[in-house]
Amino acid sequence: MFHIKFPMISQSRTLENKLDNFHDKIIDAAALFHRSIKFFLGENENQNECKAINKQIKHIEHEADQLRRDIENELYSRNLLPNLQADILQLIESLDKITNQIDDVIYKFYIEKPQIPNKFHNKLLDLCEQVADCVENMAIASRAFFKDKSVVRDYTHKVYIKEQESDSSYNDLKKAIFASDMDLANKLQLDLFVTEVTNIADIAEDCADELLIFTLKRDI
Amino acid sequence: MLSFLIFLSSGLFLGWSLGANDASNIFGTAVGTKMVKFRTAAFISSIFVILGAVLGGDGAAQTLNKLGSVNSGAGAFMVGLAAAFSIYWMTKSKIPVSTSQAIVGAIIGWNLYSGKPTDLSIFSTIVGTWIFCPILSGIFAVAIYFMTRFIIIKTKIPLIRQDMYTRFGLILAGAFGAYALGANNIANVMGIFVTSNQFHAVTFFNFIELNAEQVLFLLGGIAISVGIFTYSKRIMMTVGNNICIISPLAAWVVVIAQSFVLFLFASQNFHLFLEQHGLPSIPLVPVSSSQAVIGAVIGIGLIKGGHGINWGLLGQIFIGWVATPVIAAGLCYISLFFLQNVFNLTVYY
Repeated sequence: MFHIKFPMISQSRTLENKLDNFHDKIIDAAALFHRSIKFFLGENENQNECKAINKQIKHIEHEADQLRRDIENELYSRNLLPNLQADILQLIESLDKITNQIDDVIYKFYIEKPQIPNKFHNKLLDLCEQVADCVENMAIASRAFFKDKSVVRDYTHKVYIKEQESDSSYNDLKKAIFASDMDLANKLQLDLFVTEVTNIADIAEDCADELLIFTLKRDI
Repeated sequence: MLSFLIFLSSGLFLGWSLGANDASNIFGTAVGTKMVKFRTAAFISSIFVILGAVLGGDGAAQTLNKLGSVNSGAGAFMVGLAAAFSIYWMTKSKIPVSTSQAIVGAIIGWNLYSGKPTDLSIFSTIVGTWIFCPILSGIFAVAIYFMTRFIIIKTKIPLIRQDMYTRFGLILAGAFGAYALGANNIANVMGIFVTSNQFHAVTFFNFIELNAEQVLFLLGGIAISVGIFTYSKRIMMTVGNNICIISPLAAWVVVIAQSFVLFLFASQNFHLFLEQHGLPSIPLVPVSSSQAVIGAVIGIGLIKGGHGINWGLLGQIFIGWVATPVIAAGLCYISLFFLQNVFNLTVYY
């Protein structure tokens, strides 16, 4: 008759595991993104491997979506953290946008197969590495929000640094692209790719902004 | 006996209104934020309010009797009714009201009408506690807040588990708060009937023995419980964020702080302990749980920078401190005159 809404310890651990797995998926997506761009730029690119990479990122994105739904569902159905519920849901949704954007970029590379001159490869790889680092730090910062909020600021600061670096790389690359002797169509296509890649870091930066506010609100 | 039961109705009504209003101080935030279900909160607070009233209600009731020993059933009825109407009036005027202040005012009204002297030292002690109670509650809240914060930072408990512990904590604090409320505030509800009490000692199941006073307090406790079950839900759903927005964990701090304060002002054992060790003892006086909560919330609000505090409410509380006992005393005096001269009832001996 008197139902006390105590989630059992095991239930709490299950949710904690799901949150951990969700953050793992974001880190996996970031690592795969860096690897896949390296692969797409490589000379011995073959169609089957490209397909496998695309499938892999789709799988990660799908699992992240499923985890996001499970987490949201558990938070609402068990009315956990009522005062932080809206913030957590917003954070999870924002983080999910990162994996979605990574999936979009990889898919575009896979479908459009843009012609990228060799002279841009290093700059593009640098940009991708900065973006992947930015995303990884964001995932660690978000994980810390749930486990040890004292280090959230350290990681969000790294997110900001990496985002600034990616912005700088993006500007250099954009200038180089439009200064090159490629066709205008190629220039525009490549510019769109670079912009989409940089957008990943921008989304991570927005997440960091939100996270810092939520962390302040988490104080008792 | 029948007339005594009829006279007791005003005390039971007062108990009902106390349950309806003050249970929200204990479980308000927990229920309002849906951390604890209302049924659970109502069940736990009812049980512990009754336990507190029966087991620990004696000390504060004795102090009220020293202020004015209402020696007639009809007089006690009118003292209770005057207090109840004052509370109703003040609540309608949206001024936070304390049952303790209303009953003290009404007792003084009876003293004035019956020509009995009011013990000024007791009166000043009681008034002193009204001011001391929210301050003490604020100090406790600040100390418990810092301790809790320190533990959370040091132990690095994950957020989800923290939520679970907070729920457990709110239930335990609520039980303690209900016990303290019963022990401290039963004096407001039934204290005036102690002198004219016509109940006898009873024994339940051959091993639970209650003296006449405890039987009276048991009835008062049941009245408070009925108030909790029938009318406190609406107040619980709106309470908690009135003075300053607080988190469930801070709400736990507030409940613990106010429970300690109510317990200190009701515990005879602690009172004796302090006296035996030559320490300044805390008087056993019914205090306002609402004001203890307000003191605790303001304490937390202040250490957070004082930005979110609704200072206007503090002014209203101050008005309540002065207006409630004055209105209750005036109302009681006039009503006793009518009861004696229109209904020919003996309102004092």
